[in-house]
Amino acid sequence: MADAAAVAAAAEKGSGGLPQFDASQWPGQIVWMLVIFGVLVFLFSKVFVPKVGGTIAEREDKIGGDIGDARRLRDEAEAQSKAAADELAAARGRAHKLALDAKTAAAAESAARRSEEDAKLSASLSEAEARIGQVKAEAMTHVRAIAAETAGAIVERLTGTSAAPAEVERALPAQA
Amino acid sequence: MAAIQPMEQFMIKKIVDVPPVLVPGLGPIDLSITNSVATMIFAAAMISIFFLAAARGKVVPGRLQAFGEILYDLADKGLTGPMIGDRGRPFLPYVFALFSLIAFLDIWGLIPGQFTVTSQLAVTVTLAVVTFAMVVIVGFLRNGLGFFKLFVPGGVHWAMLFLLVPIEFVSFLVRPVTLSMRLFGNMIGGHVVMYMFGSFVVALAVFAMNGGLAYLGFVGSALSLAMVVALTALELIVAFLQAFVFAALTCTYLSDVVNLDHGH
Repeated sequence: MADAAAVAAAAEKGSGGLPQFDASQWPGQIVWMLVIFGVLVFLFSKVFVPKVGGTIAEREDKIGGDIGDARRLRDEAEAQSKAAADELAAARGRAHKLALDAKTAAAAESAARRSEEDAKLSASLSEAEARIGQVKAEAMTHVRAIAAETAGAIVERLTGTSAAPAEVERALPAQA
Repeated sequence: MAAIQPMEQFMIKKIVDVPPVLVPGLGPIDLSITNSVATMIFAAAMISIFFLAAARGKVVPGRLQAFGEILYDLADKGLTGPMIGDRGRPFLPYVFALFSLIAFLDIWGLIPGQFTVTSQLAVTVTLAVVTFAMVVIVGFLRNGLGFFKLFVPGGVHWAMLFLLVPIEFVSFLVRPVTLSMRLFGNMIGGHVVMYMFGSFVVALAVFAMNGGLAYLGFVGSALSLAMVVALTALELIVAFLQAFVFAALTCTYLSDVVNLDHGH
């Protein structure tokens, strides 16, 4: 009940019973508040605000820088992949062209070779034909001799005397 | 049963006696450490320790640092930035310190048995007068005699100025009063109401002990307890809000004089 007594005493002393209106308690609180608040404002302006604000600014810079780096790297990678794709397409085009060229070249070469072979073949064919004709002609010339010989032999066998070649020759047709 | 003494919680009690300091022109001033002064010192120490720990400057913050940075952003991007603008930067430390101190003292006072420094009119008047004085000094330093343009609203007929200038002037002078009374009134009101409901919890329960119809007292007691719980939550909001309002009004007043040439 000592507190209650103090309140009662304060109520008598103060104006209207509120301890806050007790003027004797004002100067001490005002001075202390000024000192403490002054110290706090000093600390905030010299230490806390620069430090915390600096950290936040530093972080924002870092994040901004990192995002910038990431964006740059992504652009770079995109450019590279685009270049690679272009290169691939070009290579594919080249390969296509190469294949086409090779095919046409091969076709041309084979056509040329075939025609060459054809020519060679036809040449040897005509040569062979000529030789056959020659051989045939030659053979035809020999046919008369063979016939004469055969006729002589037959005559000799049948008659026992050999026929004169001129007679046999005469007996043979002019053309076999 | 203890007598209901709702004002007893605001009593100043001496803890350490310090001999009065004689200030020339003012007379002796009692600088004894009272429960109020001790709480102020404690608050300043806690705030300093907290921000020293929070200002470690890691790029990836810990919890403490993250909380400190949230408070910093609240003061920077919630108060001085939008309310004063770019010119508000120099006032950030003042506004931030003011907000931190009032918020801590308000919230600390909600702990049962702890002293509520911001319920002391002497304290709120001190803070309000310091703020007001700073506004006036900054006003004159920035604008010279142009400071008086503050009392002349733009875009009105000149004849109206005979009426408006005195109104503006009085409303300016009354600022420290409203600033201090708002915080003081909110704190004392909330604490008295909480005390009253708290005492009902006990008084009604004791009354219910008489038996019979008096058992209904338990209902009242329980309701009062629920009220105390609800009021505690409300007062927590009020504690934060009043600190924010004090700091926000400080910003508004500073903005008036800092951006005077911008045509407010």
